[in-house]
Amino acid sequence: MSTLLEILSPSFLLRDAVIASVLVGLVCPLVGVYFVLRRMIFFGVALPQVSAAGIAFSFWLYRMLVGPHQHGEAPEQALAMVGSFGFTLLALLLLVGLERTGREMIEARIGTTYAIAAATTILILARDPHGEAQMVNLLKGEILAANETSLHLMFYVLCPVVVLLFAFRKQLLLVSFDRDMATVLGMRVTLWDALLYLTIGATIAIGVMTAGPLVTFGFLVIPPITARLVTRRMLTFSIAASLIGGATAFAGFYCAYRFDLPLGPAEVALASAVLMVVAVGNVMRVGARRRRAT
Amino acid sequence: MPEALISLRDVSLGYDGRPVLQQVSMTIERGEFLALLGPNGAGKTTLLRGVLGLIPVLAGTIEYGFDRLASPPGYVPQRETLDPIFPLTAFEVVLMGTYARLAPLRPVGRRQRVKATACLDEVGLLHIASQPFWALSGGQKQRVLIARALAVDPEVLLLDEPTAGVDAAAERTILDLISRLNREKTLTVGLVCHHLPLVRSLVHTAIWIDEGRATKEPLDAIPVSAPVTELAGNPTGSG
Repeated sequence: MSTLLEILSPSFLLRDAVIASVLVGLVCPLVGVYFVLRRMIFFGVALPQVSAAGIAFSFWLYRMLVGPHQHGEAPEQALAMVGSFGFTLLALLLLVGLERTGREMIEARIGTTYAIAAATTILILARDPHGEAQMVNLLKGEILAANETSLHLMFYVLCPVVVLLFAFRKQLLLVSFDRDMATVLGMRVTLWDALLYLTIGATIAIGVMTAGPLVTFGFLVIPPITARLVTRRMLTFSIAASLIGGATAFAGFYCAYRFDLPLGPAEVALASAVLMVVAVGNVMRVGARRRRAT
Repeated sequence: MPEALISLRDVSLGYDGRPVLQQVSMTIERGEFLALLGPNGAGKTTLLRGVLGLIPVLAGTIEYGFDRLASPPGYVPQRETLDPIFPLTAFEVVLMGTYARLAPLRPVGRRQRVKATACLDEVGLLHIASQPFWALSGGQKQRVLIARALAVDPEVLLLDEPTAGVDAAAERTILDLISRLNREKTLTVGLVCHHLPLVRSLVHTAIWIDEGRATKEPLDAIPVSAPVTELAGNPTGSG
């Protein structure tokens, strides 16, 4: 109890890290619901890794053209954001474009993208020994090092994402559920897709910069899958996914702090445990209903 | 004088620049009830998708006797094309039909809800409004999709194999519903169908599609007992 009160205290040393964790937990699932509904879950594995490669590439390029950057400062954040967002969006558009031309190779393409991104990240890091330690921390998701600057960046990026997702949820839902119907109704499906991809790219970029690829992927996918098991409407699905993500991120932070565990894995493990409990509960509920019916 | 609702002039339709249908010329008149018939793979769905604007017209022109933005066609897809993973109730699916008249930032309001309720009532499924769409039977799903198409306030209702994969009773209910909509609302209806005897007593005219051509034929010219697949290349079934 005292640990919980300590974490909730405004003067808590890691207050910014708590806020950053909960923000990632709240917003990643809002984007993740579309990964689940559009059956793009494997994109969620590859894209955070691509995002990490983008960060490493932008740092390397900056060092080559300008010189070493200062760790933790605003220019580093901007540099990471540009690289991460650029790479993510480019990879997303490429994968989606290729998907339209043939679905049969989709898993192979995503797997290849993941492998290339992971290898590229490591190779670039190896070529940039000056910033290697800093970048390794950033790529791992240095969420404990979140500061006011990174929180500001998160707010500036994630607030518009949330507003766009809720303001245009009708259009994004229809385009995802029945593309043909959306076209017949005169909607510009390519533009709505582009909007969705922009929000996905921005969320993954900021998620990877703040929490790393593992946490980003975990919160893109696990809370929406959990929420899907217990909701029957689209709006409640999105809200439940976000709340589950936010709550498990906070609880994961509590567990990591209380038991001295690595933060990211603790958060993802807790979100997975919640998923397993809900899935088992769901199976038991359906079984009981079937028994009653017979 | 019959009013032309959709006119096709020397239209070619296909995919990736390769035509499946060529030089299609015909007029669909207001209030008509048409069946799109032909062998498997002949291009029935291609013609439907072309008229709906879902695939580009490779050659020729399609003219509409109504404002497609103000009153889009009511489209009923094959229900298997819709993924059951979406957590949507029957009511939410029907509500999508009202989005055409909603500005992007305007939320769904009372008017849209009333419309969706009326459309569900029209197809006799108001009692299952709050049930998950994915949990409905095939026939119920199809009627919900018809209700969604009606929520658009369409001039024309186009259905892609609405009775595929449903039992005989559901088949009859769906066709009776479509027939009633055509009769009572003077709604122009076009449906893709494989089984001629099923629609023979309902439709006025058939569009026969085979070997890259589509021609409009009076249904009386097609023998009652002949299955569509045996009529390939010979829509009248004679000689």
